[in-house]
Amino acid sequence: MVDLSTKSGRELGKVDLEKISQCRWYLTALIVTIFPLMLFTSSFASAQEDPTGFAVLVRQADTARETGDRAAAIKLYEEAERLNPRWPDGWFFLGSMQYGTNSYAAARDALTHYIDLTQNATAAFALRGLCEFELGEYPQSLVDIQRGLALGAANQPRNEKILRYHEGLLLTRLGRYEDALQSYGYFARMGVSSPDILLGLGLAGLRLPFLPKDVGTDRQELLIVTGNAAYLTLAGGNDDKAQQAFSNLFQRFPAEANAHYLYGYLLFAKDPDLAVTEFKRAAEIAPSSASPQAMLAWSSLVRNESMEAVPYAERAVKNDPSLALAQLVLGRSLVEIGNVKDGIDHLQRALQIEPNNLEAHLALARGYSEGGRPQDARRERLICLQVTDEANQIAH
Amino acid sequence: MRRTRLRIRLLISILFWVILVSARAEAGPSASATCANCHKSKVMEQRDTPMGRALALPGSNFVLKSHPRLTVRKGSYTYVVETHGNESTYSVTDGARAITVPIRWGFGAGAQTWVLERGGKFYESIVSYYPAIVGLDITTGDEKLTPHNVEEAFGRELSDDDKKTCFGCHATGTQVDSKLNLETLKPGLTCQRCHEDSNEHMAAILLKKLSPMPRDLGALSSEGISNYCGQCHRPWDMVVRSHWRGEMNVRFQPYRLANSRCFSGTDPRISCVACHDPHQNLVHNTSSYDAKCLACHASVATAAQVAASEVPKTCPVAKSNCVSCHMPKVTLPGGSSHLTFTDHQIRIVKPGGSYPN
Repeated sequence: MVDLSTKSGRELGKVDLEKISQCRWYLTALIVTIFPLMLFTSSFASAQEDPTGFAVLVRQADTARETGDRAAAIKLYEEAERLNPRWPDGWFFLGSMQYGTNSYAAARDALTHYIDLTQNATAAFALRGLCEFELGEYPQSLVDIQRGLALGAANQPRNEKILRYHEGLLLTRLGRYEDALQSYGYFARMGVSSPDILLGLGLAGLRLPFLPKDVGTDRQELLIVTGNAAYLTLAGGNDDKAQQAFSNLFQRFPAEANAHYLYGYLLFAKDPDLAVTEFKRAAEIAPSSASPQAMLAWSSLVRNESMEAVPYAERAVKNDPSLALAQLVLGRSLVEIGNVKDGIDHLQRALQIEPNNLEAHLALARGYSEGGRPQDARRERLICLQVTDEANQIAH
Repeated sequence: MRRTRLRIRLLISILFWVILVSARAEAGPSASATCANCHKSKVMEQRDTPMGRALALPGSNFVLKSHPRLTVRKGSYTYVVETHGNESTYSVTDGARAITVPIRWGFGAGAQTWVLERGGKFYESIVSYYPAIVGLDITTGDEKLTPHNVEEAFGRELSDDDKKTCFGCHATGTQVDSKLNLETLKPGLTCQRCHEDSNEHMAAILLKKLSPMPRDLGALSSEGISNYCGQCHRPWDMVVRSHWRGEMNVRFQPYRLANSRCFSGTDPRISCVACHDPHQNLVHNTSSYDAKCLACHASVATAAQVAASEVPKTCPVAKSNCVSCHMPKVTLPGGSSHLTFTDHQIRIVKPGGSYPN
């Protein structure tokens, strides 16, 4: 049984999984909940096919696994798969065992065999994502973990904690900070907190594309204080306490522009006026930062003040043309004020940066429609529906 | 020196306008009457449309006056809506405890839901009046709520955003500085709700000028009109963002219309106002819409032209009553089955086909 709250922030990503492998809770949970029946049926079938070679190996491998002899189990499963590489369960057990011994590349490959042979590979996607995380294959890791989540790998609270936590880490590492905050929101809503979670939340909040293990000790206090303030705000229910936590953060670290941006972002749905004040403060502290300008533009768009959005959006794009949000707000505001052609260009750039950005697809559909391109608008609208369906699956 | 004099004149001019416009804005309640000085027929007709009567205040709530006692039992809770004279009350009880509050706001001219105030908070009534059953039933959208006590059975608490949306779409003058302000509320949608800058136009009229003219909403593209009407009828992007899938989204006409294969954001023949005049009551005679459909689908086309999407298809079955087949009526599913809507996703409906999202 692993509790995320027991691990130190510094060792977070790696140690989590070492602990997981030591305790074998994850593997045990998966095996106990999903595989006994499959094991029985497939072993039985295999034994009927070849009672002398393959079936004996399978029995020996299973016995080794059940008695905790991982080294022997791995060897036997490898031999069994050499005899019958289309035996899916062997690949899963092999991948699980290899994951447990920190052989992440081998585990990833074994799980890939399993996924290729199996239709409903829910747990394997999640586990392969965790392997890829350890191997530093972050984009693919995120894809697999989110796919696992969408297919139902978070079927137990403990599994969901592990997967959501890694999802938050990966989204942060890949620069998708707002999405990472949503991911960490799960912990705030569930009332689950730990220094590791606060550290991860602090990284997402301050828009730092690192993993906790990459952060020096000199930044840890700032990150924890930021994470705590964000956590309290995401948890809801005690606005005064959350506000106090942010006041404390601003007082102790007055030069942190992204702290103001974070507070504004978290306040945006509930108190858009105060959020705008915070975005403006962030823009004052860091005039060359794109995100506050982009959010100021977004605030204007939400108020249907497209014309006011344009200068903020232009500054955002000038500050960071690679920021999808900046391209989105400029594109959308241009479409809304009638400059459809340029607007479409910027929206297409936003989608080159973030192909699944729903807001960019929505704005582009409108742009095409306003621009007399009904077929393109229709195609874009169908993409919007696909994107929301996928997002909905991941969320649930 | 000359520049200074010019600046002073400009300043005086600006001040004059500010004072004038403010004075007209404060005179909001009579603004419709002022519009009627020049646009009498439009104002008079619009006033009696469902949009014009989208909110009923005590004393003018004809739904409640016509049905002075409404009652329904839902699970363990009994609801009673009673009207005496100009006063109506909404009550819920589980037999042991009861909550009764006065009804101040009735939302809807046909079916009606009530926004209730209790303890400084606002709630949507859990039951609503439905003309189809001439009685009360669960409010559309609240079917899945399972109240555990009288408080929960009383109503669904509204967030600040909910309040702004509800009042903003059923009344006029509900927001001051982007905040909900019920002091300035006028029931129903009046001229200023859609023609937002008409106060300045009226101020100009006092000075015997026409300019500034209100924004010409008729000049909006079909896409623009969909988004404009969609402020209340829900635009395409809001429905998608909110993931409102299934037959319940038949209520959101701009969304459905945009899903139609024939929708084009720049073609004025396919837009909300191409078929509906917002100043007039809804026309229920289906054949009256034929001309709108035939505006595109009347031409004789070759199969090759149709395949190349050069010209729209013509109907091989009929030349009249188009909407009766291509815009079917959809009854809301589950507990909301007292409401039926015309599906604005124009399409070839196949027998036994599922509802297209």
